[in-house]
Amino acid sequence: MLFKNLIEYMGLEPGRLHFSWISSAESTKFVEVVNEVTSAIKALGPRKSMVKTPLTDIKDKATEHVDIH
Amino acid sequence: MLTYIDKIRQIAEGFLKEGTVDMVIGFRRGTLPLMNEPCLIKRPEDVKKLVWDSNCGINLANYLTNRKEKIGIVAKGCDSRNIVNHIIENKIKREQLFIIGVPCKGMIDRHAIEALFPSEIEEVVEDESRIVVTGGGVEQIWSKAEVLQENCTICIHRNPVVYDELVADLVVEQKDVDRYEDIRRIEGISPEEKRDYFNDLLSSCIRCYACRNACPLCYCPTCFVDASRPQWVGKSQDPTDIETFHFLRAFHCAGRCTDCGACERACPMGIKVRVLTKKLEKDCLELFDWETGMDVEKRAPLRTYSPDDPDDMIR
Amino acid sequence: MTSWEPKIVSFLCNWCSYGAADLAGIGRMEYPPNIRVIRIPCTGLINPMFILTALREGADGIWMSG
Repeated sequence: MLFKNLIEYMGLEPGRLHFSWISSAESTKFVEVVNEVTSAIKALGPRKSMVKTPLTDIKDKATEHVDIH
Repeated sequence: MLTYIDKIRQIAEGFLKEGTVDMVIGFRRGTLPLMNEPCLIKRPEDVKKLVWDSNCGINLANYLTNRKEKIGIVAKGCDSRNIVNHIIENKIKREQLFIIGVPCKGMIDRHAIEALFPSEIEEVVEDESRIVVTGGGVEQIWSKAEVLQENCTICIHRNPVVYDELVADLVVEQKDVDRYEDIRRIEGISPEEKRDYFNDLLSSCIRCYACRNACPLCYCPTCFVDASRPQWVGKSQDPTDIETFHFLRAFHCAGRCTDCGACERACPMGIKVRVLTKKLEKDCLELFDWETGMDVEKRAPLRTYSPDDPDDMIR
Repeated sequence: MTSWEPKIVSFLCNWCSYGAADLAGIGRMEYPPNIRVIRIPCTGLINPMFILTALREGADGIWMSG
């Protein structure tokens, strides 16, 4: 609860982080929740925030830097 | 507050002479103005080094972790709450401690003074209500209330929660303080705006971890930022890494933070890191009715389970 | 953006949701293929850092199920 609140406070859209309780006998609930989670996240679209720059991009930048010298 | 000094020295000297304690943790005058430094006094003749004024913002509970000696410690309201937290977390025993309680009237915000003062600060003198800052041929006077640390202006626990001796009468606690105005404002904006806000807030972070080191709660033998197997957070200046660091630092303080302001005071870049810890503090209060360090018997919300814990985020 | 499919990192408890997923499979139930399941011994093991790491590595969503 605290975690979800804080991460949303820092700008993650509500609906990207889901929690649930499903017993091992509740396969129907499992399918329901998967559907729900997927559609919620599909609706939000690709995530842009809080993604680390891929290493390859950083490498490109680093080589640029070396070229200057 | 200045009248406290003699009393602190007197109590400390008494303790050391009687052998009640092996050392007294207090403040001595710092090498720079506005920055008093913590010190450990072990001999009765050294107690004259101890001082007390409005530049004692460092949280002394930080120096108690895992100590074996008998310790006398000077504690203002927030320090005492952190001491309680330390006792709860078995980092020190109550029997080891002799707490010299100091009713506090707030500490001066050194970042604010440095920003307001046009020249290099050479000397700071204070009396009960004002501070006089001089340097580079300039003199400026502020009333203390104007330049208090932000957490002190909204403090509702100025008096120590636990103490063995008091240096003065308890001060009147502030009532009807709106502690969470800024937090509510941020909660109200959209996710994009929040991201911009935090990117901007944390952009000047240099990853020096001063906030962590100043914090009495951060006593893990290996901090998650130093761990390399697995490496939880990258060590670069990538905004995501900085964000992760601040997020987790704050989250590790959930239900333990007393809003003493040590982190913010320590930050060399003047980042308002309390924006994060205060949010957690607010949630703990609203969701779990929890205030840190008020009672040695009670356990923090993240350490206890109760069937009526809020769980509406779980489907 | 018709071709975009979200990546959802799901942490499923071995004894609860993972079992439910198994049962759904045995029952030949259909569900979206966007979830990437990570089996964990118990949801109590979850560390906030797992979630942050997943997000940092580019997950579009996180689903935590006990």
